[in-house]
Amino acid sequence: MSGPLSSFSTILAPKEGLNNMKTITTRMVFLTGLVLILGMYGCAHTTSMVTQHPVEVTGFPICSDCHTDWRAALDHTSDYYTRHRFYAEQQSRACNVCHKESFCSDCHAHREELKPSDKYQDSPERTLPHPGDYITQHQIDGRINPASCMKCHGRSNNERCSECHR
Amino acid sequence: MELGAHSSMRTVILEGGNILRSNSLLPVKSSPLIVRSVFALALLTILALCKPVFSSAASLTGDSSTYIQSREQADGSKVLGGYEYLDFAVQDIGSETVSFHTGGWLRQDFETAEFGKESNSDLQYSYLSFKSKIDNTVVNLGRVMVFEGVAAERVDGLYARTDLNGGFGISAFGGSPVETEINTPGNNLIYGGRLSHQMGDIYKIGISALEEDKDSLAYRKEEGIDLWLHPLTNVDITGRSSYNDITKGWMENTYVLMLGPFAKLRLDTTASWITYDNYFFRTTTSAFSLQNGLITPGEKVRMLGETASYPITDNVQITADYKNFDYVIAGNANYYGATIKYTVPESGSAGFGYHNMDGDTDTLKYNEYRVYGSKKIGKFGLTADVLDVVYASPVNGVKNSYSGSLAAMYDLSEAWKLGADVDYYHDPEFNHDVRAFVKLLYHFGAKGGA
Repeated sequence: MSGPLSSFSTILAPKEGLNNMKTITTRMVFLTGLVLILGMYGCAHTTSMVTQHPVEVTGFPICSDCHTDWRAALDHTSDYYTRHRFYAEQQSRACNVCHKESFCSDCHAHREELKPSDKYQDSPERTLPHPGDYITQHQIDGRINPASCMKCHGRSNNERCSECHR
Repeated sequence: MELGAHSSMRTVILEGGNILRSNSLLPVKSSPLIVRSVFALALLTILALCKPVFSSAASLTGDSSTYIQSREQADGSKVLGGYEYLDFAVQDIGSETVSFHTGGWLRQDFETAEFGKESNSDLQYSYLSFKSKIDNTVVNLGRVMVFEGVAAERVDGLYARTDLNGGFGISAFGGSPVETEINTPGNNLIYGGRLSHQMGDIYKIGISALEEDKDSLAYRKEEGIDLWLHPLTNVDITGRSSYNDITKGWMENTYVLMLGPFAKLRLDTTASWITYDNYFFRTTTSAFSLQNGLITPGEKVRMLGETASYPITDNVQITADYKNFDYVIAGNANYYGATIKYTVPESGSAGFGYHNMDGDTDTLKYNEYRVYGSKKIGKFGLTADVLDVVYASPVNGVKNSYSGSLAAMYDLSEAWKLGADVDYYHDPEFNHDVRAFVKLLYHFGAKGGA
């Protein structure tokens, strides 16, 4: 067994060897953790973040204009496009205060046939992927940094890729 | 393709690359205990949420976007397609904490069948959401998008998170993965979670893990650490590391140091290491397969980047950026340039950018220019955008590849907008190509009683 999730699934779906010391230990650790989490949940008394930003924000928000706490790090500066994923992975609920889910799915789609830059041709100031006709350029970008393609097209949204990459 | 053999209790799939392909999602045929547990929990959650009888004051907001696109495909055939994108949210269902969100699109072709299908559609997301007023507790059930540490997934299932005592937070998700071109017999399951700790405005750190099973075998097993650190005023560090627990190696380590603003100047330094064998281990398209030659097995890349931005005025900003790509096998490449942007929110914008790509091969040498401008006068908006790429050596006989677009938008009312774009391309794939795009946008938001 390796990895915490293997342990998790083992607990939920034990097969044989319930008397196995390893299984018993894992169960005890899991139950202790569960009790601990429930206890910590019961003692937590934080106030939830607002679900909608109380003030309408236009243009690219510079959160530090108003916020001096951790939210100041969310300034949408010129390279925010390249690091927005870190904030989304850590505190996506903060994104949801201003952005609807469809804002994410414009790019991070299960299946998508229209390029974001086509849908938002009238917003050239936004850093949208695949500007112009991307057929030639994608070969270059794909060689330079294929990991940047993988995030959106690696396991989903790749019907268009498979037209040529069969 | 054979998926592998059971070696013990659980067996991983050792081969990379594609597995059986299909255009449909696989239903979960026989749910294992964890799926049943997840859905039992979800059912209980729904029952709890629905207990307060649906009452008045539910509000509906959303957007409808209708597009008609005319363009030429690479094989010369013409495409004329109509798209309808619809997303909406119903807030305050029964109580202020319950809402429903959904979004999707459908396409109908009027000429050539694009992607081999005359019509297509997708449900992008659709879920019932419970958001508590305390502890940032969130429970989403349905087709949910999950962004938690190593997980950036779309799942048909359940997502939940909450604050715990002492600055801790916890999240978990589980269900059937929503992916394209995956088809295996038996179970498809993804689940994972993240535990985080935040100390005020000093740091936030999280550990996360996910496992995806295909046909009851481990298909992906990833673990990760994510970090935001704010040790001093005007100093931030953020990034993450992710580990492939099947190949037993780091997939990615990427961190960004942000300094500033110091007299308005901001400096962002990025360092990233990616190991292809671990990062591209599981994909559903051959473009990223380690087996077909496009992605080089054994390749590793280290990227170092620097971005400096300075607002000259409230509306004008200049940015200079530099990236160095250092590959173990492919050599080196440098990408650098600068942009100047002028932006007046709700009024207009303009910008000019120049970048140079200087790689070890001719195909990785080019100059890129972009100039754009948009202006809104009353209800009418006009945008022009030109992109020019000059290759060091011709590609398909074309050395200068360029595209230009002209977009117009008219506000019919506060809710309705009508727009049209015309694009012209001259590039190695299309000698001359003209594309047209018409859009009708409608935003709706109305209060209504039940």
